Amino acid sequence: MLAAVRGLGARLTAVVVGPDDLARAVAATGPDELRWVGPGDEVPAEAFAPALAAAAELAHPRVLVSTTDPAARVLLGAACARLGSALIPGMIGLAAEGDEVVVRRSAIGGEVIESYAAGGSIAAVFVGDDVETVTSNAIAATTNDLPAADISVVRGASSVVATGVNDAPRVVAFGRGVKARSDVALIEQLAAALDAEIACSMPIAEDVHWLDKARYIGRSGQHIAPQLYLAVGIAGSPQHMEGVRDAKIVAAINIDPGAPVFRVADYGVVGDLYEVVPAIVEELEHGQPSGGSHE
Amino acid sequence: MVIYKWARDASAAMVRTDGVVDWRGAKMTPGEDDPAALAVAKSLAQTSGGEVVGLTIGDGDASWVLARGVVQAFSVTDAADLPDNATTAAILARAVGRIGDVDAVVIGDSKQESGVAPVLAGLLGWTAVLAVVSATASDGRLSAIRRSGSEQETFSVAPPAVIGVAAESEMATVPGMKELLAARKRPLTQWTVADLGVDVAEAVTVRDSQKPDVTSARVFEGGSAQVAAQLLAALRAEGVL
Repeated sequence: MLAAVRGLGARLTAVVVGPDDLARAVAATGPDELRWVGPGDEVPAEAFAPALAAAAELAHPRVLVSTTDPAARVLLGAACARLGSALIPGMIGLAAEGDEVVVRRSAIGGEVIESYAAGGSIAAVFVGDDVETVTSNAIAATTNDLPAADISVVRGASSVVATGVNDAPRVVAFGRGVKARSDVALIEQLAAALDAEIACSMPIAEDVHWLDKARYIGRSGQHIAPQLYLAVGIAGSPQHMEGVRDAKIVAAINIDPGAPVFRVADYGVVGDLYEVVPAIVEELEHGQPSGGSHE
Repeated sequence: MVIYKWARDASAAMVRTDGVVDWRGAKMTPGEDDPAALAVAKSLAQTSGGEVVGLTIGDGDASWVLARGVVQAFSVTDAADLPDNATTAAILARAVGRIGDVDAVVIGDSKQESGVAPVLAGLLGWTAVLAVVSATASDGRLSAIRRSGSEQETFSVAPPAVIGVAAESEMATVPGMKELLAARKRPLTQWTVADLGVDVAEAVTVRDSQKPDVTSARVFEGGSAQVAAQLLAALRAEGVL
């Protein structure tokens, strides 16, 4: 996100509300200025929205950007309201063209890329890919002691059952392509052969209850970042794929060559999962480890 | 108060081959988070002894909440669906102010229009909690729960506040005939943007609209044994097996 803003070639001020290791990580990306608010455990970032909006009004930035994080958006919204900025969601890129700032955004679930030009102050919610931009010019943060609004937070474990899905290096997930509950055993064999955790799409957890809700991947479910995410019989709705945005490699097995999952996956197999999955298990258990000779 | 049906149905929009979006078939419809937002608003009303009123914008059927237990609704009938979330929020904020005496505004925290709920809070000058899954009221405060991964956050907020709700599951509700008939008798107040005095002059202009470059998957097709071996070889080459 900071790299996208840096591309405008203007002075870049980062505001961090959170623990000091987060502030250090942001400092290492080399903004021109870093303002850090380190709240106590029971004060959420949202508490500082009015104070930071007042600070933004003094600094009157031309461009304001936040991540999709709920607290970050509250800070953005307060500053945007105070500055009278327009706001474009779904931002994937920024450019300066003459006196205007052009925001590129992804809309309609990624079906279209639109560009909007703003002559005045503009805010945006960034949804693009993040890149590692650690520089040697790490700067010191300016600590800010700001008044907090009347809001507190208590953090604890979710009542949802903990699973290994969040930290697993490999995750195999399945969707409605799996026809019967007894067929889940097939997916379990694949997960075991890959030494992977098992996960699912929303209907599997919410509608048919074949897996616990804690294993459902998607917008309102788990957000995971495994090395490998293998989607079996999952169409690949934007809501589902949002949960694996940070996966290194996404592979998909689906019988429908037009399934949306093939538009976002790195690798795909078009085929019947009831034939392909046993073949993969067979290859893993009895095939040659250097399977590259088959290519 | 619950704000509902405030965005167009993106699934009914067509993207033409030249990349221009044809919105003609897309009405303002209940968003995927709207049923969950209504449930949260009802929970807040029940636990605080208050009542829920509805607010909608645009050309949708305003009776959606009236047939689902809400006794009164307001509609800004000519509010166009705008790319600038801040203008949408300004229309909503002005309507909330006109209705008055509101302790909590509950609105779907839409992924596609992720700036509306936070700017609405900013314009009202209220505290906001977004991506909330449930909320109740007690001892003059609002308690809202948000879940992320295996962590759960329980916020305690002094009203008035904006609560952005993210649905955890699809929860479509179909009203019965009795509720549909009752909805017709419930009051619906209609305003225009001009009535509210909101300036909807476009702060942004469309520069370009195009289909994204498709970076399709490398797809293997053929016999099961063959594609299995090809997929595993590719994954080994990536270093993820």
